[in-house]
Amino acid sequence: MKYVLKRLGLLLVTMILVSFLTFLAFQLVSGDPAVTMLGTDATAAQLQTLRHELGLDLPFLTRYFRWLGGFFTGNLGVSYSYRQPVWNLVSSKLTISLCLSLMSFVLIAVISIPAGIFSYSRTGGPLSWLRTVFNQLCMAVPPFFTGILFSWCFGILLKIFTPGDFPGFDSDFAESMRHIFFGAVCLAIPRIAMTIRMLRSTVVSEMNKAYVRTAISRGNDRRSVLMRHVLKNSMLSVVSFLGQTLAELVGAGIVVEQVLGIPGLGRFLVASISHRDYPVVQTIVVILAFWVVLAGTAADLINQAIDPRLRQGSRS
Amino acid sequence: MKKKINPYLLAGLIITGFMLLVTIIGVFWTPYVPTAMKYGKFQMPSAAHIFGTDNFGRDIFSRVLKGTATTFSIALLTVSIGAVAGTLIGAVTGYFGGFIDDVLMRLNDALTAFPSFLLALLIVSLVGPGKKYSVVLALGIVFIPSFARVMRTEFASLRGRNFVTQARLMGARNGRILLVHLLPNTIRVLLPALTIGFNNAVLAEASMSFLGIGVTPPDASLGYMLSEAQGMLASGPWYAIFTGLTIVLLVFGVGLIGEGLQAQNRGVD
Repeated sequence: MKYVLKRLGLLLVTMILVSFLTFLAFQLVSGDPAVTMLGTDATAAQLQTLRHELGLDLPFLTRYFRWLGGFFTGNLGVSYSYRQPVWNLVSSKLTISLCLSLMSFVLIAVISIPAGIFSYSRTGGPLSWLRTVFNQLCMAVPPFFTGILFSWCFGILLKIFTPGDFPGFDSDFAESMRHIFFGAVCLAIPRIAMTIRMLRSTVVSEMNKAYVRTAISRGNDRRSVLMRHVLKNSMLSVVSFLGQTLAELVGAGIVVEQVLGIPGLGRFLVASISHRDYPVVQTIVVILAFWVVLAGTAADLINQAIDPRLRQGSRS
Repeated sequence: MKKKINPYLLAGLIITGFMLLVTIIGVFWTPYVPTAMKYGKFQMPSAAHIFGTDNFGRDIFSRVLKGTATTFSIALLTVSIGAVAGTLIGAVTGYFGGFIDDVLMRLNDALTAFPSFLLALLIVSLVGPGKKYSVVLALGIVFIPSFARVMRTEFASLRGRNFVTQARLMGARNGRILLVHLLPNTIRVLLPALTIGFNNAVLAEASMSFLGIGVTPPDASLGYMLSEAQGMLASGPWYAIFTGLTIVLLVFGVGLIGEGLQAQNRGVD
């Protein structure tokens, strides 16, 4: 329990640090939002009024805490290009991106863990080189290329879904889920290959340890040692790896959303970067960074539940 | 070093060597002028145009050659920046430890809270999108932390070894120990890291150009060409397929080299 609290405290500190750095960076680069919104030919009085309205005449730290509080109250400022509150624009897209990342994550976890164990138990077979090569090939396929192939094959030829025409969950749930499913598969393919490879090498190095030799010398067969002892010990690195994968899915999702026309956070981020819509960009950046930090914390907490040694705080 | 060369390594070297050859040829010679729009729109792949032509009637094979050269050179430059700076930081922090180590590693931790791709996007948007050097700069910076981390672990573990103490007893200075005694020993970790970094760079550059934030015309990169090709899927799917397969082949070859290097390291240990 103490460990959990400590970890959550660290999480909070990291989140504040990350949001502060982001806010600071965007304050430095974004210039005067009032000028951006009104254009260069606005009068000084107009600028002054708008600055007051947006709260830009307040001290820096006050503005930062106001903005940070906005993550709880939903008041995150106003988008330059849409003239709407940032939160209204971002929230629906956040749901879509979350769906995409989580579905892809589930695919990765459900497929790669059994496949990794299976792949280990068949090591050294005549076709083992073929598996390694196939694995490398899967890792080499960029998700956006898979996305293009999917939209050609399933979209244009087979007409299972219409790429680029995302209806939204409210109007056509099934069609939306098809979009998200294909996106999730694109994201998952290279990462399933990576996870299988990683799990395999962890199991291999774990099987060479002394406790395995002892267990086998006492008459246990390899299979039961693998299932009962080695897997549990290998899970630690798998959980860390999957936590990292969950974090990376967010970044990788940006491109896949663009390819399949899924209106998620990533796609909105790219559009906002090209419009220099800084309030939106900074909010999305912080949301994504929070997501990364949360994924890491979740992985740590799960590991700590699996392995009591970690609770002592010392790393072996 | 009399041992059998790993088959993965060999296959990877052959594929990558082939891609490198194609890249070098692409810099000096292409079968057609890549930007000329006069070869007939949407020609299927044929003997004259082995990858076909696009909507403007440009020869896709010539464009892929040019694009591979751009992508290859950007990835190479990026990895060089990341590896050199990362090794330098890793050497200093791992070997000396202390205050600099603490500060740089905390900074490293904070940086990893941002997805690296996102960080690269932001740096490009700040430096100025659409220029070749800003992509190289952004990706180079983004790759420093991972190299620094790997190299730091390696330098820190080598620091306490006997041969280092011996060298110090013989009066070698820190600079000499780092350069002559430690650096060659880190190669076996650095090389696989380089292959992974190269592949990440290829994929990241392609993704960014695909989003229209990386390389923009007249410089063609494979990623930008894929985004072009996406619009022509219905009438000329071969454009996307050949361009994408080129990326896959490039990454696949270097990935095999990495696989082979790691297998050889395992054999040595």
